[in-house]
Amino acid sequence: MTTESVTATSKTAARVAPSVLAGIGAFAAVGVYVLISSVGLGLWTSLGPGPGLFPFAMGAVLAAMSAVWLLQELRRPSETAEGVDRALVIAVVASLVVLAAVMDLLGFQLSMFLFLMYHLKLRGRRAWPSSLVTALAGSVGAFYAFNYGLNVALPVSAFPLLNTIGL
Amino acid sequence: MDTLNELMGGFAAAMTWQNLLFAFLGCLLGTIIGVLPGIGPVAGVALLIPLTLNLDATGAIIMLCAIFYGTAYGGTITSVLLNTPGEAASAITTIDGYAMTKLGKAGAALTIAAVGSFVGGTVATLGLVMAAKPLGELGLLVGPPEFFALMVVGISLLVALAGKSMVKAVISGALGLLIAMVGIDPVAGAPRFTFGMDRLLDGVSFVAVIVGVFGLSELLSYRKGTTTPNVHAPNLRSLLPTGREWRRSAPAMARGTGIGFGLGLIPGMTGSVSSLLAYGAEKKFSRHRNELGKGAIEGVAGPETANNSHANAALIPLFTLGIPASPTIAVLMGAFLQQGLTPGPTLFTEHSEIAWAIIASLFIGNLLLLVLNVPLVGLWTSILRVPTTILTALILLFMVIGAYTINFSVFDVFVMIGFGLLGLALRHLDIPLAPMVLTLVLGPLMERSLRESLEISQGDFGIFTSRPISAVLIGLGLLIIFSPLLKLRKPKALNEDPET
Amino acid sequence: MNTRSRIAAALAAASLIALTGCGANAGATNAAGGDFPKKGKTIDLVVAFSSGGAVDTAARLIQPILEKELGTNVEVINKPGAGGQIGYTQLTGAAPDGYTIGATGSPSVVVSPLDPSRGAKYTRDSFQPLGRQVIDPTVIAVQPDSPYQTLKDLLDAAKANPKSMTASTTGLQTGEHFAMAQIQESTGSEFAPVHFSEGASQATTAFLGKHVDILVANVSDVVDLTKQGKARVLGVMTSERAPALPDVPTFKESGYDLEAGTTRGYSAPAGLPDEVAKKLEAAIQKAIEDPAVVQKMQDLGLQTSYLSGEDYKQYWAGQEEDFKKVLPLVQKTD
Repeated sequence: MTTESVTATSKTAARVAPSVLAGIGAFAAVGVYVLISSVGLGLWTSLGPGPGLFPFAMGAVLAAMSAVWLLQELRRPSETAEGVDRALVIAVVASLVVLAAVMDLLGFQLSMFLFLMYHLKLRGRRAWPSSLVTALAGSVGAFYAFNYGLNVALPVSAFPLLNTIGL
Repeated sequence: MDTLNELMGGFAAAMTWQNLLFAFLGCLLGTIIGVLPGIGPVAGVALLIPLTLNLDATGAIIMLCAIFYGTAYGGTITSVLLNTPGEAASAITTIDGYAMTKLGKAGAALTIAAVGSFVGGTVATLGLVMAAKPLGELGLLVGPPEFFALMVVGISLLVALAGKSMVKAVISGALGLLIAMVGIDPVAGAPRFTFGMDRLLDGVSFVAVIVGVFGLSELLSYRKGTTTPNVHAPNLRSLLPTGREWRRSAPAMARGTGIGFGLGLIPGMTGSVSSLLAYGAEKKFSRHRNELGKGAIEGVAGPETANNSHANAALIPLFTLGIPASPTIAVLMGAFLQQGLTPGPTLFTEHSEIAWAIIASLFIGNLLLLVLNVPLVGLWTSILRVPTTILTALILLFMVIGAYTINFSVFDVFVMIGFGLLGLALRHLDIPLAPMVLTLVLGPLMERSLRESLEISQGDFGIFTSRPISAVLIGLGLLIIFSPLLKLRKPKALNEDPET
Repeated sequence: MNTRSRIAAALAAASLIALTGCGANAGATNAAGGDFPKKGKTIDLVVAFSSGGAVDTAARLIQPILEKELGTNVEVINKPGAGGQIGYTQLTGAAPDGYTIGATGSPSVVVSPLDPSRGAKYTRDSFQPLGRQVIDPTVIAVQPDSPYQTLKDLLDAAKANPKSMTASTTGLQTGEHFAMAQIQESTGSEFAPVHFSEGASQATTAFLGKHVDILVANVSDVVDLTKQGKARVLGVMTSERAPALPDVPTFKESGYDLEAGTTRGYSAPAGLPDEVAKKLEAAIQKAIEDPAVVQKMQDLGLQTSYLSGEDYKQYWAGQEEDFKKVLPLVQKTD
């Protein structure tokens, strides 16, 4: 659905930004998907309005609005917003994904320390002392503040070896 | 004087040392969020919700409310000292505030802003006290169809006012509703859009979504070239305004209070509109209008008073009708719901002690802000001197902790990352985020009241037009959506408002 | 460098103060024996209905005593929706470590896994019953200005004009829905059900606002309303009159041999270590049988009828058998 609408329309309206078309396509696809699957959920049952009724309406709205938006774009393409700093996005997202992936294994303190050091020392190019102090406060400090101050347990390491030394 | 008694009871409850501490911490954290340029009030409040999950409902809400109106003041500091607003509602203050800084009168500007905020906030809270009882008693008139209609009005106002394109605003609203629908159907129990993931049965975590869409995506859309500003705190002696400055500020504060209060009651209006209009009012009515732009105290007093008056007045529709007037309030409402409190007419019948304690704490909090902000100006400026890289890292840290601690699960951290990317895409496509937050919070309530209404009418959609209150409300909603007049008169500030 | 680290330290200190401050309220307990419960670790008590209803009220009544018995914080968490299913899903999805327990009410907890269309992720075996607290009989009430003075008037009218009156339930396939279905089945009357899936407090509010005509609820929901003259209870579905509503005839007295009610107790996710289960069970028994709690329950119109975890389990199994038979009455038919 997404790719179809993109290729079908890009010939006629070369001036519409590809990212906008992709967006419209994605919204339309989500709308249609919701529309179809909500019928399966049941719009109306013998017990009254069914679980699918509201999603059905929303799917319809989403699909219809995507269509209107496409028409608007074809008539008068909007200016594209400024691009994003791709390096930044990749660095932040990738580091967050890695952090989330290893947090249960390494424990909060170690993984967060490494995460902060990456952002402070490697990306931020801060001096060692300031990086270390901030990273320690944000990892070990935050862990203890949350565990003992707030009774909020942040994860400890799944490795027994790391666990016994308090990580 | 029933109201007075209950308010006194509220003060008694709010004056425990824990609740005072929560109000104090909330003001402190709120001001910090307001000061920090990278994080707006919406993401800020969402981020701090997990901190309050272990508190009792009263303490948690007191703290979050304090955070909320604290942000309304925090933004002033950077506007005055740095010429960059910490949040949108203080943008207009930069003009005269920064001019005053250049004239060496930063201290007076900050003090007047703090006093103005206090006046505006207190008067608006008094309004809430007056309105609570009569509106609360109307509450029983609001059945499921009326409730649904009320939400339609709220959402249509926001859709009509947010962003440049109504189509995009509707898309944003529909997305929010769809996200809210993930999980077990709140009526019949069937799982919806969970893609077989057990984790999604309880729905997508609201905090993770908001933190992602508003907070993370904001960080991701940073561009290079931001440098650490060089700011200096005004010395303490210069903090006292002169008698002349006081006299000139008083009428500006009065005007600001009125404007902020009036606009704060209207769903969809953000604080920036109020401060902008208040500045406009000074331009028109102030006796010193020709000095505006060159460091006139009225240019600080008016907008800053309006801004805080607006923030507190915006709590009135939330408390009495259950309608969040702005995205930040919607987040606040999410926090209410997580504490098992449904804002709206029933709040005063079912949880009257909590409601009054919160109202009392608003008075206390406004006073705290006044006491806190002026002497602590040195602390705020030192926060501004923290390098961007360190701030970014610390904000990321708080986002991860915030997302993790809602369910103690890494899954929500991934949810946050995913919605951060979605938020970035939406920003890129120029789709306003505000309608999404609103529908995200209101979605379940809206769906439930729709289905209950249809059960009452046994399937007849006419129930929404045959009952007078809901008929008027639905009509109003349609009028808003289809009125091109309203679009023409839309204040320009709304288009540039990062809050929406 | 100097200023930088100073500022970083100041920031860290500020956030530390902020964080410990928040914990001040939560951490005010101590002294716990053995491994469970760990000192300072909060036990969540999941209530699958919204605050203000009878389930919530009962849970909040025993909460302080549980705290005293267990020596740690117990927090009541409301997870309303889908007639209890959302809260039960959360309860059974939690780790069986004793730090998550929940209020369980039948028939909602018993029936929701029986209907495949609900897609419930739990069965009876997902719960470890810890103790039963009360049985709350179902009642039927009308607006104070309603023309119907007796149960017979009402049911005859609902038979003559089917679906002319709306009646509340606390959600699909909850006790009230079953009761209504049983009434309809055996008397031929017909109501238009409105399901307030978050619980009794929403249903009651809608009834008070006259948005629904008939309130199908439990005794504890209507005791206060009756005193204030805001509802007229026409019948209670027990074999004997409820002590809190002495003037209200039973269904049997009115000529309808029907009984229904909601049973409430407390359970944990299945798989608790024995030690932990024992401690929780003992604490819950203490709390339920506490004279002050019993008295307060009585003020609400409820007779405490404690059953131990094991007996509650037996009772639960019996309920499952009973409700399986009447389930078709409240299932969708398309």
